[in-house]
Amino acid sequence: MTSSKTIVLRSSDGATFEVDEAVALHSLMIKHRIETGGADSTTIDVPEVTGNTLSKVIEYCKKHVEAPNSDDLKSFDTDFVKVDQAVLCHLAKASYYMNIKGLLDLSSKTIADMFKGKTVEQIRETFHIKNDFTPEEEEELRKENSWNLFV
Amino acid sequence: MEWDSSNSDLSGDEEGGFLLNDGGPLPFPVDSLLQPAPCGFVVSDALEPDHPIIYVNSVFEIITGYRAEEVLGRNCRFLQCRGPYAKRRHPLVDSTVVSEIRRFLEDGIEFKGELLNFTKDGTPLMNRLRMTPIYGDDEVITHIIGIQFFTEVDLDLGPLPGSTTHGTVKSSDPFRSSLLSFRLTPDGTRSPSRGLCRILQLSDEVICLKILSRLTPRDIASVGSVCRRFYEVVKNEDLWRMVCQNAWGSETTRVLETVPGAKRLGWGRLARELTTLEAAAWRKVTVGGAVEPSRCNFSACAVGNRVVLFGGEGVNMQPMNDTFVLDLNSSKPEWQHVKVGSPPPGRWGHTLSCVNGSNLVVFGGCGTQGLLNDVFLLDLDAKHPTWREISGLAPPLPRSWHSSCTLDGTKLIVSGGCADSGVLLSDTFLLDLSMEKPIWREIPVTWTPPSRLGHTLSVYGGRKILMFGGLAKSGPLRFRSSDVFTMDLSEDEPCWRSVTGSGMPGAGNPGGIGPPPRLDHVAVSLPGGRILVFGGSVAGLHSASQLYILDPTEEKPTWRILNVPGRPPRFAWGHSTCVVGGTRAIVLGGQTGEEWMLSELHELSLASSVI
Repeated sequence: MTSSKTIVLRSSDGATFEVDEAVALHSLMIKHRIETGGADSTTIDVPEVTGNTLSKVIEYCKKHVEAPNSDDLKSFDTDFVKVDQAVLCHLAKASYYMNIKGLLDLSSKTIADMFKGKTVEQIRETFHIKNDFTPEEEEELRKENSWNLFV
Repeated sequence: MEWDSSNSDLSGDEEGGFLLNDGGPLPFPVDSLLQPAPCGFVVSDALEPDHPIIYVNSVFEIITGYRAEEVLGRNCRFLQCRGPYAKRRHPLVDSTVVSEIRRFLEDGIEFKGELLNFTKDGTPLMNRLRMTPIYGDDEVITHIIGIQFFTEVDLDLGPLPGSTTHGTVKSSDPFRSSLLSFRLTPDGTRSPSRGLCRILQLSDEVICLKILSRLTPRDIASVGSVCRRFYEVVKNEDLWRMVCQNAWGSETTRVLETVPGAKRLGWGRLARELTTLEAAAWRKVTVGGAVEPSRCNFSACAVGNRVVLFGGEGVNMQPMNDTFVLDLNSSKPEWQHVKVGSPPPGRWGHTLSCVNGSNLVVFGGCGTQGLLNDVFLLDLDAKHPTWREISGLAPPLPRSWHSSCTLDGTKLIVSGGCADSGVLLSDTFLLDLSMEKPIWREIPVTWTPPSRLGHTLSVYGGRKILMFGGLAKSGPLRFRSSDVFTMDLSEDEPCWRSVTGSGMPGAGNPGGIGPPPRLDHVAVSLPGGRILVFGGSVAGLHSASQLYILDPTEEKPTWRILNVPGRPPRFAWGHSTCVVGGTRAIVLGGQTGEEWMLSELHELSLASSVI
């Protein structure tokens, strides 16, 4: 095989991860950094992402680069996003910043599924969102956004 | 959360209202013990060694993950062990609290405190616990009542030993999550869980383009009411356009965009009105010009906001071959005869469909020499519009009063109809007009619905078609039908099914009040997959102008009646009705027999107009 060059990725909290270059290139942002960066830059800083999240992102990239046609890729993805909300949102944020389309789509879709069919109150509960409307505004919104079907 | 001390008097001989496993009721009011919040409730037998559990309630089962049969007979200290296989108390459990519990119970005093517990899958929970001794007749403690109020704890303990799942994975059971997040505020009202809100930390771009764009229009409406940030985010017209396109398909959104910007509702408003149909109304439209010589049994079709009419049967029953256009975008719409090159042979009982943007395709019908199966195509926007014959190999049998529809905007589908010597057909053919040399292809099926004419084919959900009604063969007879059949053309081997999904012939029509059987009716595909039916030749004394709506994508598709203000036309025929701009069904007024009024049209508008 060709040279297995490795890249070191450094998270916001200083954790370092050594990965194969091919795996790192799965992130278009890192690819761009490498292509436009200095000659021997083997350490890339990823200041927007913490170590915990970066470790998971790398796990995703590894699987998708090393075994892109494997039969269990789908079940890998399904299990990969069986995490709590905080981790999911961190993954969405990180994959957006690091430009990893597959992971961004996967995490976004999982978050989107958590909205489906929910009432306003249920959405607030699920995502721990504070209701910052005044009672008058809420009343207006209730009228505006309650779509009554013709039945 | 405050413990109400007035509930601590538990002696008394009121009936408890619940039974223990051994059949005897407890001699105290159980209900008053339960705080107005979901609590775990455990009863232990204090007379047996090591106080075995004799009852747990369902909240306990759901939150801890242990079912009653797994824990009855055990002391409830197992909750201090992490996971079902651990034998010892987890080191993080405060042993001084454990000793305190033992002392209090020995002294017969009620205990109140907090203790770390674990669910069956190893999730840590804080158990705000109250344990109350119950005294029997002779001052001996007979039972211990435990009331637990569980809350989530932010502890990363790593995976549960011996399991393949991560120990801190929050239960995907929504019931458990909502029970855990249920809290009382000091004034007793509910408030959402005080977890950290992560989703609002994402950028507008990710929220809008990546997450919300995947939701249905109705869900977006709810999202907009959640908080100020979402209210602002949801105002984005691009988001609504994406949502509409995802919900209705790109073909439908393309058609909706053909309405000029000034006359078009915003996507948000359009999404709402086309979902709720709250602005649907009948109105009369008067237009100028004339379609002469007069005729009946012509075909009409919409190209963007223009209505195109071709052929028909003249007063002397002669088949006609002229083409007329009515531009409803103009401030004074009027019928105009289109000078076209090489018109097809005259005909009536044919179909006219729109393909490839601004092209019209004619198929079949009855001409001077009998039934036809030729295909002619016209580009309405060409400088010199010219009809061009498409000679496809192996065309379907010549026929009239068949039905047609356009799939993907490029493929013509025809089905059924009446062939020579009056034989009814039940085949389905497809002609891909996006190809250089289109070839007819019959869709092979093992079973077809009874053959028929005057039925409708509607496209919904991308590549599915729905067949409704018509005059159908039944043995040696023919009856008006109100059957619904669907076919999914994205499958490798498409087949006809009843709308309830059953593959068995005749197995299931939709529920609800369905339209009375009919032929030559109008079926309009609404965005989102619903089908609207009205008009036609209806059996019996039923009104043809009643609107019926069906959503074949529902789990249990049900016919519903749509009540719409305004005066509907008395008669409406399928081959003379078309939908312009995706939101206006134009009915070219028919009388039975005689002259057809083409200067006064009836329009069923599905959304408000901007004027």
